[in-house]
Amino acid sequence: MNGPQWPFREIWLVDFEFIARSGNRPKPVCLVALELRSRRIIRQWQNEFGRAPPYSIDAGSLFIAYYASAELGCHLALGWQLPARVLDLYVEFRNRTNGLETPSGSGLIGALTYFGLDTIGVVEKAEMRDLILRGGAWTTGEQVAILDYCEGDVRALERLLPVMALRIDLSRALLRGRYMAAVARMEWAGVPIDMPPLELLREHWDGIQDALVAEIDAMYGVFEGHTFKRDYFGALLAKEGIPWPLLESGRLDLSDDTFRLMARVYPALSPLRELRSTLADLRLNDLAVGHDGRNRTLLSPFRARSGRNQPSNTKFIFGPSVWLRGLIRPPEGQGLAYIDWEQQEFGIAAALSGDRLMCEAYNSGDPYLAFAKQAGAIPPEATRETHPIERELFKQVVLAVQYGMEARSLALRLNRPLVLARDLLRAHHETYRSFWQWSDAAVDHAILSGSLSTVFGWVVHVTAGFNPRSLRNFPMQANGAEMLRLACCLATERGIEVCAPIHDALLIAAPSDRLKHDVAATQAAMAEASRIVLDGFELRTDAKVIAYPDRYADPRGTVMWERVMKLVARCGGAAIAA
Amino acid sequence: MNADAHDLKKLDPTLDPFTNLENLRLPQAFAETAGVKRLLKTVPVRKPGSQDFVRVHPELRLSPAALIELKDDRDMYLVTPNMVHQLAGEFFTATLYLAVTRQSVTFLWPVRLPNPDGKYLEWHRSAAEAAESAKSKWIRIVPNMGLGAYELFEAVSPNIPPPVWPEASFEEIIKVAFRDRLIDHPDHPIVKRLRGEQ
Repeated sequence: MNGPQWPFREIWLVDFEFIARSGNRPKPVCLVALELRSRRIIRQWQNEFGRAPPYSIDAGSLFIAYYASAELGCHLALGWQLPARVLDLYVEFRNRTNGLETPSGSGLIGALTYFGLDTIGVVEKAEMRDLILRGGAWTTGEQVAILDYCEGDVRALERLLPVMALRIDLSRALLRGRYMAAVARMEWAGVPIDMPPLELLREHWDGIQDALVAEIDAMYGVFEGHTFKRDYFGALLAKEGIPWPLLESGRLDLSDDTFRLMARVYPALSPLRELRSTLADLRLNDLAVGHDGRNRTLLSPFRARSGRNQPSNTKFIFGPSVWLRGLIRPPEGQGLAYIDWEQQEFGIAAALSGDRLMCEAYNSGDPYLAFAKQAGAIPPEATRETHPIERELFKQVVLAVQYGMEARSLALRLNRPLVLARDLLRAHHETYRSFWQWSDAAVDHAILSGSLSTVFGWVVHVTAGFNPRSLRNFPMQANGAEMLRLACCLATERGIEVCAPIHDALLIAAPSDRLKHDVAATQAAMAEASRIVLDGFELRTDAKVIAYPDRYADPRGTVMWERVMKLVARCGGAAIAA
Repeated sequence: MNADAHDLKKLDPTLDPFTNLENLRLPQAFAETAGVKRLLKTVPVRKPGSQDFVRVHPELRLSPAALIELKDDRDMYLVTPNMVHQLAGEFFTATLYLAVTRQSVTFLWPVRLPNPDGKYLEWHRSAAEAAESAKSKWIRIVPNMGLGAYELFEAVSPNIPPPVWPEASFEEIIKVAFRDRLIDHPDHPIVKRLRGEQ
């Protein structure tokens, strides 16, 4: 075959083999590229790499890969320009099967298996991977074997493309491919980490954990060694008179989600929750930090159902232990900025549903206060200073609706009677009727048609056992993901160093004298992305600037960070901890 | 294919992922594509619960309606005009108001009219007054046995949104409400029962 009838002069299937040690940038070993129209094949070993790719990358050529961010990362490593048109069959396979069962996963073998295609030549050979990771110098025979291995993946792409091509919405697929180039740039950049405290933490982590348990558990008495004792905790709750959610089995619900919820209601439990999360989730040696002091891991684009990135919790600095983010620090002469959309989900819901009152609330600058006014709970002249409690109450209702929370959970979160929670949720329904009609229709549409799509065609398929709450939330989450992807494209293409995308935010780095400019440029890119996704409706952004020698501080983790740093100081790192 | 034929912009401008993004937007107006509307399948015929705030439609009502309430199962039957003469003394006359609760439950509220002798019980008079009030305000009625009448409570907050009325026509609502409780022929089981034939 000579490729699908797509209007490209050349269609290149490309695969690289490379070495990527944890936290470090890729080092290309070889590449194989096959042009479908001419049947021309290129096999290049690393010593043959030139100053430009051996295939055309202009807008008349289509670059096809499976998980293209890896290949594009190799382009960056070689100082090559990125292709103008990228089609990623991994992304398209994810889109085609999102919400469906994929018995063998979403890797190249998984896709071949899904379509009943031959996996010969692709079956993962551990010894071949070990051979590549071993590094040079490879014998001539080893080089040929590695190139053959690489060509096996290209031939697999050649088999896969025709069965996928007919259902690929090419124009939107190329937009997703554009994002894979942004992913390559962001993974190339990485997040700057303050190495001395990280090294001390790693060195003394066992002792620090012991000290943390001893220090924090002194307030609670619920640990035996490093083991959290359910019975002791139950006794503590009884003693303090704290009602706690139960599982259907009648046992205490000790999930982190529940702990997080309850720690909001009973802040005295917050250190305990942080400790449990730290002991359970934090594996410092897994945190992927390269030799250049940058945290760098696969961003796992399009991994979540919503199409959001889903990087490894343990490898990514923006994992669940928020206090650890204190390690993020700009190097000397540089600054960082964390720029996020304000109330992104509320804004998306308002714009896409066309709910006039919701749009007005968003545009007021304080949707929570505006909602309380629109519901008649506070007078029109109220401010956040005059009515802080009511504002917080209505804020929690907005968040509860976004999480798909029922009245009972909301009552628990608010620590208020169930009847009040019901009334508040009803106020949301009554105030934002158009939104709720649209939201109901989205669920109906999904169930009737079997799928739901974002503005740029990211699809979730609906099968038996679907979760209506998840479907209801899909337009906000998935269009939020579209917005973030587009902002990443715009920002990275304009030369901004985006270190990482985080849910509804971008972390950028810049030399100190250019930071202000880059913050403004990033905010402009994010505003533009919101206008494109929301058909003209613009979302605001907020920027937190971190200038050297300051470090990133998440208010939720500040207390724990300071506690740990005191322990680090005791371990001999006084100067560093300070 | 020659080079011009492969000029991307000439062939298909939508294949440029760097421009024309507005043209790539897919509609999110799910209501237009889902084509789903709420169907009214059940319409109770009853007075409002003592905890329900209700509104009465300012125009839609059936009056007078001949109704029979079976005391044992509290079911309400509508007697068609052609059957009225055969059931004299068995039915009462009422106005059937179209009403909704704050939870958007649609129901028909039967409010008794004065007896043929002109006697108007306070229960019925107070209910009629409440129904009139409910045309413009959210109200709640609570029976007060000592008073022998309904007490009327009015929601004073100006911020309660207006009621949402069903899309179905009043005729359709009546049909749904009395779907299997319409006495419209002499052989109806209720007629036979009242005659002692069953």
